[in-house]
Amino acid sequence: MIERSERKQYWRHTKVQMLTTLLPFLAAMIVLPLYADTLNDKRVLGIPLGYFLACHGFIVIAFVTIAVFVNRQDAVDHWHGAHEDF
Amino acid sequence: MAITARTRLVNPRLGSYFGIFTAAFAGLVLMALMLEQLGIDDATVRFTLLAGPIALYAAIGFGSRAREIADYFACGRRVPAFFNGLVLGIAALGGAGFLAFTGSLLIVGVDAMCLSMGWCAGLVCMGVLFAPFLRKFGAYTLPTFLGRRFESRVVRLLAAIVMCGPLLLLLTGEARFAGYAAGWMLGQSDRVMAAACIVAVAATVLLGGMRSLTWSSVAMGIAAILALAVGASLIAILVSNLPLPQLTHGGIVRVITRTEIARGVPVVLAPPLAFDLPAEASAPLIKRFLQSFGSIGSLSFVLMSFVVTAGIAASPSLLSRVGTAPGVYEARKSLGWAVLVAGIVLLTLPAIAVYLRAMILDQVANQPADHLPAWFQLLQQAGIAKVEARLPTVKLSDISFERDAALFALPIASGYPQVLVYLSLGGALAAALAALAAGLLTTANMLSEDVVHGRTGEAMSDGARVATARAALLGVAAVVVLVTFAASADPLQLVLASLNFGAGVTFPLLLLAIWDKRTNSWAALACMAVGFGVTTLAMLLGYAGAIGLPGELAGAAGAPAALGAGLFLSRITPAPGRNALDIVRDMRVPGGETLYDREVRLLRLRGRTPA
Repeated sequence: MIERSERKQYWRHTKVQMLTTLLPFLAAMIVLPLYADTLNDKRVLGIPLGYFLACHGFIVIAFVTIAVFVNRQDAVDHWHGAHEDF
Repeated sequence: MAITARTRLVNPRLGSYFGIFTAAFAGLVLMALMLEQLGIDDATVRFTLLAGPIALYAAIGFGSRAREIADYFACGRRVPAFFNGLVLGIAALGGAGFLAFTGSLLIVGVDAMCLSMGWCAGLVCMGVLFAPFLRKFGAYTLPTFLGRRFESRVVRLLAAIVMCGPLLLLLTGEARFAGYAAGWMLGQSDRVMAAACIVAVAATVLLGGMRSLTWSSVAMGIAAILALAVGASLIAILVSNLPLPQLTHGGIVRVITRTEIARGVPVVLAPPLAFDLPAEASAPLIKRFLQSFGSIGSLSFVLMSFVVTAGIAASPSLLSRVGTAPGVYEARKSLGWAVLVAGIVLLTLPAIAVYLRAMILDQVANQPADHLPAWFQLLQQAGIAKVEARLPTVKLSDISFERDAALFALPIASGYPQVLVYLSLGGALAAALAALAAGLLTTANMLSEDVVHGRTGEAMSDGARVATARAALLGVAAVVVLVTFAASADPLQLVLASLNFGAGVTFPLLLLAIWDKRTNSWAALACMAVGFGVTTLAMLLGYAGAIGLPGELAGAAGAPAALGAGLFLSRITPAPGRNALDIVRDMRVPGGETLYDREVRLLRLRGRTPA
């Protein structure tokens, strides 16, 4: 169980974790479609790059973002003793 | 061997059960295929593929009766992350994702991707911002959580009312999508089939509540993914020898682009705030597939992505599922699986749109109007496609396509057996039913727990609470049937309106409730009132054309207004009480007992049930 004195640090760590997870992801959500047209001249795996990034790339980024978040937040929970009891 | 909290509650035979369902579903499709090849009449084949899967879903729902109150409202809190994620992913997309998104991609090309990006990002935001904390709190409904968090029955009641309206829009939209797919399969009226779907779904979840909903929705999710994968993979094999439509359709995109340039399809540029997603009726293919911001302006694209993100992240019908996870870690993992499931579907649907567009460009556009291919004539006879050619040669812009028919038009165009057409429809129907069932149960639970029970504050037994919830479910189903018959609006617009209210009201409210402990009940009330008022006003003015912001993006105005009002009020009114702060502090830490369960346990010890 988490110590009372540790709660503030845990929450600060959690907030940083949330911001570092969401800000780059949401920035990608704005940037990728805006530059898709100009990137379509290039290709990756035979797919126009802009389309590839907006369609495939964004979904891969989303999955990697949530997977990394789940693992890192679990590590943060254990570091501060805030994890679930087994 | 140590048994951990993460695994002790999970039924180890779930994989076997759903393996049996998958085999039964595959057997049903193969049987229908054999019946078709044996020359059995089409009506029997259609009926087999419509009634067979629905009977399987219903059997699973009836077999999952709730034995105790936690079963009815939270599936006993023992749903593994994968199954939770599967249901979340499919219910988030629903019929709108399967039918309307595919058709929109076909008609307006990549502009429709603002929806897919929003769906995916919404699930990510839900996993990061809300799901772990709501699971730790463990309330059966969102208004119950808000009522406890702000120590206010008024907040609880108002939240229930404010959330039920948008849920009704979502339910009507999804019922219409379900009715559309079922109507095509049986050749009956959409509205009648929508009513039949609502009744079937209500009956399926009536006995078991969240337990029935969870396991029948897992079956629906498996059916939806299988149905989508089979049709798309067969066409991918024909085109590229690889059963991976998600990767192999990229080459076709280049072919489409070259052909469109050669045929002189114009480059259309929309103003930044333009928003023109195709409507339910037939819409012409006027712009290039790969060209961005032709139907939806650049600013509208970004705003729509954010509105869908916020709407999905704060969707009450999806968030109520979070409470079924065995723990906080499993709740986070559920969202990971949900992103994976939704991502696979959202990579497959563009492939279907691309293949169909390539066939239209190759075989219909620039062809003599009186020598169109047989498959296209079939689509014309069915009312799915139209050609308004003034010249002897058909141009791409002369071709109109019914938005919601693109998903099952591809198997028709490819000359596949009718069973594959009905399978595509069955997949879309399963997704719509999953979204419909989740919305129906969530609305009913809010009405019973937060309006009936929360308003009076009377102590009720578990049996009475479940009975009230069941009665509310029947009542909500009856209302949705009536609204479905009365509403003539485009179902996609209804779903988008629901997401706008989610983005404009629920999202800022949950954000403040969880991430800003200074927020008190006054701030919550102001947040709801301002968010709902601004979103409604912006929607009405936007649809009337009185402001530059399109009505479909009203949530983009409501969210900052609601957030600002909540933050402002919370700073000029007294800080929340000690109990509310304790709730926030406990909710933020994954470890320890689920707060709602602890509260119920303590109240029972004192001989009272929670108000």
